[in-house]
Amino acid sequence: MVLVKAGGQRTLVLAEPSRDPAVLLADLSAAEPSVRRAAARDLAPHPEAAMALCDRLEVEASPSVRAVLLTSLIHLQSPTVAMRLASLLRSDDVPLRNAAIEALQEMPDAVAPHLRDLLADEDSDVRIFAVNILGALRHGQAPQWLTDVVRSDPHINVCAAAVDGLAEIGGPETLIDLEALRRRYEGNPFMEFAIDAAMRRIRGH
Amino acid sequence: MARSRESEMNGAPPHILVVDDGITMRMFYRSVLEAAGFMVEEATNGMEGYEKVLAQPFDLMIVDINMPKMDGYSMIRTIRNDPAVRMIPAVVVSTEAAAKDSARALEAGANFYLVKPVAPEDLTEVVRMIVGVAA
Repeated sequence: MVLVKAGGQRTLVLAEPSRDPAVLLADLSAAEPSVRRAAARDLAPHPEAAMALCDRLEVEASPSVRAVLLTSLIHLQSPTVAMRLASLLRSDDVPLRNAAIEALQEMPDAVAPHLRDLLADEDSDVRIFAVNILGALRHGQAPQWLTDVVRSDPHINVCAAAVDGLAEIGGPETLIDLEALRRRYEGNPFMEFAIDAAMRRIRGH
Repeated sequence: MARSRESEMNGAPPHILVVDDGITMRMFYRSVLEAAGFMVEEATNGMEGYEKVLAQPFDLMIVDINMPKMDGYSMIRTIRNDPAVRMIPAVVVSTEAAAKDSARALEAGANFYLVKPVAPEDLTEVVRMIVGVAA
């Protein structure tokens, strides 16, 4: 129990005493998912626990514990957390990879320093996932980064993903680059379809 | 593989479910498949796709892999484990071109694997082959 002074009067409220972070860190490896879930939740206010949460996320099998780990990591977001989550873009675990993408979309300032590297990755799938992050990232530079992809990426599926992103967040200034991309992929039915659809959407019809 | 169930019995065009989180991709599949005479329904992720499969009959599903909420592998596995709907053929379409990716899709229960971007004629050929409709 703690006493809280509210509105000039002392009010008695019941509160859960904060748990020892060392115990919480140990609980992240508990056999029972409910214990791991509670530990992941209660470590959210502890920035020093961020790497332990990332470590746990990489091996956690329970979807509900994974969800709480990601929620806590979004709360603790930093460029280091974003880098750890970005490493999951190479995972063969599709739900984990998709969860990492969704979490990174929630931390625009933390992921921004890593986007250049991700967009230059030698693996085209990693570049596609980076473009997918950009398409839903609330960051002022996102349209420009997508435009850079359209201008320079050699892989058709990376460009197609960027076209989808620009359809969502691109402005009229991107039309000239989309027109150039359409000329580059002239004769490819999907690319012509996708670019035409994006340009119609950007133009507002 | 022979065409299935109700659409054949009532003379309706084969009913195709397209499951992809990309709106442009769904629009493209719809445009290609409707032009080829198929009826198309869309879902934006594996969870929505599974719910649609439970709610109405389909002759074929075209499924993306990387989707929010439920990915394509999980959706197909879920359907293959549900006796009521397990027989619906599935074509996986993915950006991932490595042999391990197609093997993984087939292991999950897919009947065919295509790599994006898919040419319209390839898509219609595979769909016709699976639902048993002559060109």
